[in-house]
Amino acid sequence: MSGVQLDGIIKEYGAIRVVHGVDLQIKDKEFVVLVGPSGCGKSTCLRMVAGLEEISGGTLTIDGRVVNRVAPKDRDVAMVFQNYALYPHLDVAENIAFGLRIRKVPKEQIAQSVKEVAEILGLTPYLERRPADLSGGQRQRVAMGRAIVRHPKVFLFDEPLSNLDAKLRTQMRAEIKRLHKRLGVTSLYVTHDQTEAMTLADRIVVLANGRIEQIGTPMELFNNPINTFVAGFIGSPPMNQLKGVVEAGQGAPVARVADQLITLPPLKELQNAVGREIIVGIRPEHVTLDNGKPGTPVRVDLDLVETLGSEALLHATISDTPFVVKVETHDGVDHLSGVDQFHFQTDRIKVFDGQTQKAYGYTAGEGA
Amino acid sequence: MMRAEDTPPAREQDARVPGAAKARLGAALARFLFRLRQDWQVYLLLAPTVIWILVFLYKPMYGLQIAFKDYSIFRGIEGSPWIGFEHFETLFASDQFVRAVWNTIKISALSLLIGFPMPIILALMFNEILKDTFKRTAQTIVYLPHFISSVIIAGIVITAFSPSAGIVNTFLQWLGLEPVYFLTKPEWFRPIFVGTTIWQEAGFQSIVFLAAIAGVNPSLYESAVVDGASRWQMMWKITIPSIMPTIIIMLIIRIGNLMEVSFEMIILLYQPATYETADVVNTFIYRQGIVGGQYDLAAAAGLFNAVVAFVLVMTANTISKRLSRTSLW
Repeated sequence: MSGVQLDGIIKEYGAIRVVHGVDLQIKDKEFVVLVGPSGCGKSTCLRMVAGLEEISGGTLTIDGRVVNRVAPKDRDVAMVFQNYALYPHLDVAENIAFGLRIRKVPKEQIAQSVKEVAEILGLTPYLERRPADLSGGQRQRVAMGRAIVRHPKVFLFDEPLSNLDAKLRTQMRAEIKRLHKRLGVTSLYVTHDQTEAMTLADRIVVLANGRIEQIGTPMELFNNPINTFVAGFIGSPPMNQLKGVVEAGQGAPVARVADQLITLPPLKELQNAVGREIIVGIRPEHVTLDNGKPGTPVRVDLDLVETLGSEALLHATISDTPFVVKVETHDGVDHLSGVDQFHFQTDRIKVFDGQTQKAYGYTAGEGA
Repeated sequence: MMRAEDTPPAREQDARVPGAAKARLGAALARFLFRLRQDWQVYLLLAPTVIWILVFLYKPMYGLQIAFKDYSIFRGIEGSPWIGFEHFETLFASDQFVRAVWNTIKISALSLLIGFPMPIILALMFNEILKDTFKRTAQTIVYLPHFISSVIIAGIVITAFSPSAGIVNTFLQWLGLEPVYFLTKPEWFRPIFVGTTIWQEAGFQSIVFLAAIAGVNPSLYESAVVDGASRWQMMWKITIPSIMPTIIIMLIIRIGNLMEVSFEMIILLYQPATYETADVVNTFIYRQGIVGGQYDLAAAAGLFNAVVAFVLVMTANTISKRLSRTSLW
């Protein structure tokens, strides 16, 4: 069992607190992704797990052992850095072997381990090359090789794909996923890219301002966000959010958004809530152009049609609020330029409190 | 890169078509004038250095010819007759000159051996100091001698080694030993000279290496920490290899200056009693040329010095290029 547990982890730089009591349990062999905007404290959390940052408060446990005061080398973790951190004066084989050489592993064993890792990562033809002679993807593979070769209890990834171009990033993402499946090592991965988080994670931890906003599987976070921040962070494009006021409807509650009425799902928080300020949220994928399903037609001013191939993004405004819809392009895109009405599926609408930004009807674990 | 117009067919064409070369020269001049107009601010910034190099480094080369002439200030450079390599023959027949060459080599080798690693060691030590206040104080103390005039430094050294009141002899006497007349003993000159120049310059020279260390990617250290490297291992396996290109460049420059032993410091510290080990090519040139008025002989000695330095720097650069992929050019 190589789980990692963070209990009330705090990080302070002088009087400034940047991580405010993070509680997280990573199970053995689990792949957990910390995601959030720049400066949210995700890298700081990872570096505290690695031992590169001192922990100001709370308890960090790796494999059942409290490691707050344990040196990084004795935590049995391996880390992959954003800028690869390869030693420019060493060739690929020496870079991969570095950690083993430091630990004075016998030479024959090092050679064997390097050979195995190089085969796993497809680096065998490049073992004698120096980092400067490798492409970005190859360098990242070497960085992963250096982590794998030590057979650590925990892998830590600090935005490892940020320096790669979009195509290579997609390719490397799949390789990391495959590697995790093959090696089954507990992994903590930091990224600001929600697509990376969605594709790689068993569970995602969304952080904002040094606090955990929500923990859940990718689909939990996508379907059942706890607040407007998570709703706006997870999903590409993010969830549309319209400010409105609850009004009494005929049978079901409705929201007035500017001069339009939108039928809301029957949530218990909306009972006797007439006049309350709310935020109506709906994902771009959950808005349709036909009105065959139960819901509300909403008038829009179409601004722009972005064609992506099999799909198109319709950029519009609803009472001056920007709004994005994702539609399929089976029938071509010509007819899309004349769209002046969207159809909101009532059962897909999320309602958030206008003051607290919290989701109504939220139940932990739902939506997975 | 060879331009299209420089290719042999283009040159052959120049030879066949009258006026083609002239037209090409005109076009090149027009291009240069265009660049000058476009980036005149850059050329203006460059101008003082170019003028300085032309006036103080290239123009004096005209005077080098006196090394091959029987020069007389009354006849001038043009009027003095050519005598071939006579001055060089005289120099190599002179025991004093040969001694000066050997002394230069010995002092330079000693300085290189001890003096070159010292700034690197200092920079590595500064890099290991974690407390900022202590680091800054230590750096200031070590940089300070560089800003003190050589005359004052020599004065401090002479006083420190004075047989009557010097701190060194006082200490020796305190230990029950006889006082030593250090600065009159040839065997003590080289250690004192090398020690003094290290004390004066090592701190300041360490700035280059500190800057190189500051440029090392911090992730390399973090990665090594996670891998389990100690600070000592990080210094040997990351810091030193990472700053190796800077070390090699500085070494090539140092080798190029090998024949240029700190002239002022030797003049200030040596005396006839220590000529045996202290007299170097530059002091020899000074005595022959300036004090003795034998400008042609001094020019020949200077030219010999320059040729040796040129060969040394070329050799060092070529070796470095082959062995470490790092070179000055």
